[in-house]
Amino acid sequence: MTLGLTPTYGLDLSALDARYHELSKVVHPDRQAGRSPAERRRALSLAVDVNAAYRALRDPVRRAEAMLARGGRASDRAAPSPAFLMDVMELREGLAAARAASDLGRVRGMADEVRARRDRVIAGLAAAFGAGRDDDAVPLVAELRYLARFLDEVRAIEEEADA
Amino acid sequence: MAYSEKVIEHYENPKNVGTLDKDADDVGTGLVGAPACGDVMRLQIKVSDEGVIEDAKFKTFGCGSAIASSSLATEWLKGKRVDEAETIKNSMIAEELNLPPVKIHCSVLAEDAIKSAIADFKQKQAAKRALQGG
Repeated sequence: MTLGLTPTYGLDLSALDARYHELSKVVHPDRQAGRSPAERRRALSLAVDVNAAYRALRDPVRRAEAMLARGGRASDRAAPSPAFLMDVMELREGLAAARAASDLGRVRGMADEVRARRDRVIAGLAAAFGAGRDDDAVPLVAELRYLARFLDEVRAIEEEADA
Repeated sequence: MAYSEKVIEHYENPKNVGTLDKDADDVGTGLVGAPACGDVMRLQIKVSDEGVIEDAKFKTFGCGSAIASSSLATEWLKGKRVDEAETIKNSMIAEELNLPPVKIHCSVLAEDAIKSAIADFKQKQAAKRALQGG
């Protein structure tokens, strides 16, 4: 583990941030004055690894994918239930309608609901990984991706409104 | 990654976007998702008494290739008999749209949506026959 943290899904994000800032300082190119070219190259490559590891762990979908990959499981096969897909379709249609009506309040209301739902899925993932039930985590990762896509769309609408 | 001209054409001017009545006996609805990326696609067919697909509609929330694949699928479905529609393969869609390897799964999604819509239609017809027979 590049960051020297114990692999766990229910990661303490503030501890992750602290560890990242600490390591970034050590390997930062500005701190490498007076080092040999070989040492500088090594620091640069470490800095790249630290950034990549941090970004992967900060993202709940990628963190789950990394946990599944450790157990040798693919995470892109399981299909969520038809009822879940129907919900997602309705949510996406509702969001498209709110966007078309320039109803930012409605967009934000839907986003709050989906964020709460996403947090419940993340808690479910932490419980599944915590109990060593990696198979149960696979469909939850898929659900998380659908909800993340919804929230990406919300961000795009908000950026459009700010512009 | 650059989209092919045909993908851009369908993306900018998608054909047959919309909804048919999912509760009607002559309408089959397929709802599929791509768990790897979170795209969702709904494809619906309306079938005449002679077994010909007289209308097809879709709604896709996804990338340009997924939208183009479903748009092309609805164009191909219209006017075909249900048994002919079952022979549409994702490779035909991918070839027509010049999809690159990383976007082949979008054409697979469209084929799954067609199959799922036909299965839904057939199930409704079987249920209807069972009711009439009983």
